[in-house]
Amino acid sequence: MLNEFAYCPRLGYLEWVQGEFADNDDTVEGRYHHRNVDRTQQRARPRGEGNDNEVPKIHERSVWLGAESLGLSTKIDLLEGEGRRVTPVDYKRGKRPHVPQGAYEPELVQLCAQGLLLRDHGYECDEGVLFFVGSRERVRVVFDDELVARTVQLAAGMRAVAAAGPIPPPLVDSPKCPRCSLVGICLPDELRYLTVGEGAAAPPRPLVPARDDALPLHVQHPGARIRKDGEVLQIVDDDKVIGEARLAETSQVVLFGAVHVTTPVVQELCQRGIPVCYLSSGGWFYGITHGMSHKNVELRRRQYAVAGDPARCLALARRFVQAKIANCRTLLRRNHPSPAEDLLSDLKGDIRRAGQADRLDVLLGVEGTAARRHFSAFAEMLHPDESEAATFDLESRNRRPPRDPVNALLSLAYAMLTREWTVVLFSVGFDPYLGFYHQPRYGRPALALDLMEEYRPLIADSLVLTVVNNGELRSEHFARAPGAVSLTAAGRRKFIEAYERRMSQEVTHPVFGYRISYRRVLEVQARLLARHLSDEISEYPSFTTR
Amino acid sequence: MRRVCLVSYDISDPRRWRQVYRTMRGFGEHLQLSVFSCDLTPAQRVTMIAALEEAIDRDDDQVLLIDLGPSQAQPIQQIEALGRPLSVRDRSPVVL
Repeated sequence: MLNEFAYCPRLGYLEWVQGEFADNDDTVEGRYHHRNVDRTQQRARPRGEGNDNEVPKIHERSVWLGAESLGLSTKIDLLEGEGRRVTPVDYKRGKRPHVPQGAYEPELVQLCAQGLLLRDHGYECDEGVLFFVGSRERVRVVFDDELVARTVQLAAGMRAVAAAGPIPPPLVDSPKCPRCSLVGICLPDELRYLTVGEGAAAPPRPLVPARDDALPLHVQHPGARIRKDGEVLQIVDDDKVIGEARLAETSQVVLFGAVHVTTPVVQELCQRGIPVCYLSSGGWFYGITHGMSHKNVELRRRQYAVAGDPARCLALARRFVQAKIANCRTLLRRNHPSPAEDLLSDLKGDIRRAGQADRLDVLLGVEGTAARRHFSAFAEMLHPDESEAATFDLESRNRRPPRDPVNALLSLAYAMLTREWTVVLFSVGFDPYLGFYHQPRYGRPALALDLMEEYRPLIADSLVLTVVNNGELRSEHFARAPGAVSLTAAGRRKFIEAYERRMSQEVTHPVFGYRISYRRVLEVQARLLARHLSDEISEYPSFTTR
Repeated sequence: MRRVCLVSYDISDPRRWRQVYRTMRGFGEHLQLSVFSCDLTPAQRVTMIAALEEAIDRDDDQVLLIDLGPSQAQPIQQIEALGRPLSVRDRSPVVL
């Protein structure tokens, strides 16, 4: 903890007060190099009271020590010594840094804290050793007065920040950030860019990974069963393996309709923090299973506080609606063969009116009007093949059940977007059921619905246009019943594949200017909302494309 | 930064061989008997090595990791296959 706080006070706060943690290449490697010292857990033996000829030798791994008087506790990787003289040894991945002090401050302070604890327990301890696994070098660290004073000062500083808050600001343009594992949670450059005002600060470095290492698994094959085989999920139908997904490369598991999962699969997924979503075969979101919920209580508290403040709710709701209408207008301008001038100016007027709405129900009215305008022109953006034209005839938006293929596609796309946002919000630490614009109603992920507003045109509507206009979905992909239309299993599969392609697509972030996949956009935006709720940035930057 | 790594192994005990095979399936594509091609981040590579070290006997078994370079360069495409064609699927979401 002291190590992180000395590295960056904000990192210390995020990890130890808010309970955030993320792995990156360095932390995984560090854990690997620690596997031997972590394996045995023993207690330090009481200091030697044997006779003078035989001084007991100490060589212990993973020694836990704590002292209330110092307000510290520690786990010493390796404790070496004879009799009452002991030396703590701390294992570090990588090579020894070539700096005059032999190592960087966070490591020195951490080791010194271990020394102080050993002294408190009655041992003599004047120095410690840092063992750098990468270069197999031992670096001696003497606990002089200066280091001890610094350690005590930092420990007190950490305690004060933890007790009183607020979260320390991010480092400014620091070379430490790119290799910090929490950079995607902390968003140091993005925050600074938004607080000092655009233009005043350099645009953020692209520190957030642009794409994901793990991708979703969708199973909609009726009657399929998912089981675990080693490190792989196997999807089985009638004892025949119809597909596989590696656990390490899975970000979420989405089950449509009657798909079975075994308990070992659910346990493994919970342990790895991979959520399982249950949907009806038509895509209606039933629920989600995930591991023990997120530890960031502070964020949920902020969310509840802001949701209880009508003025702040309204301010956020206005931004969601404005961004949504702006994105609808962009979609029209890009895809409509000849967009009517007064339609575009009406939408512009709606954006203005949404910004001036003084009550939530006024805003709801503005949004409804804009949506009607948008869907009135939607049919003209569709240009399927001649032979398919009749299939995609569309008058207006209708649902529950959708009465024509386009509406069926829109409903499924919105359902998938709701699911996506719910998963993102859970993983960031929000409560998805409490929104700012959408009011809570039982079982409805209101916050997910809030945040997805601006992505409806960006992801869902444009996806529907794509699959219809390039002939990916045709009339044989729809099943018709009187008064309702739904997708066939094959059609749904094609549509989900197209949806995932869309989510993998990279876009330029409108505020920060770097390229990032839609999947990552959702996470970054959710984290920015969290920063807005904790008053670190004054406005939630909505996502609008040009 | 992902890199493609060819992993081949020679395991003298059938029990451990089975274990190594099961481990490797979680990290890469089974190309041939005892040969996998893996597209890994540095973290996944470390995790894989840790899992393999658990499974093998250091005195009798051998695992070779052959680094083929960054994934963007698609090094698998450079491999010439005689006989059956070599097929490695792209990383993409699984939809069934």
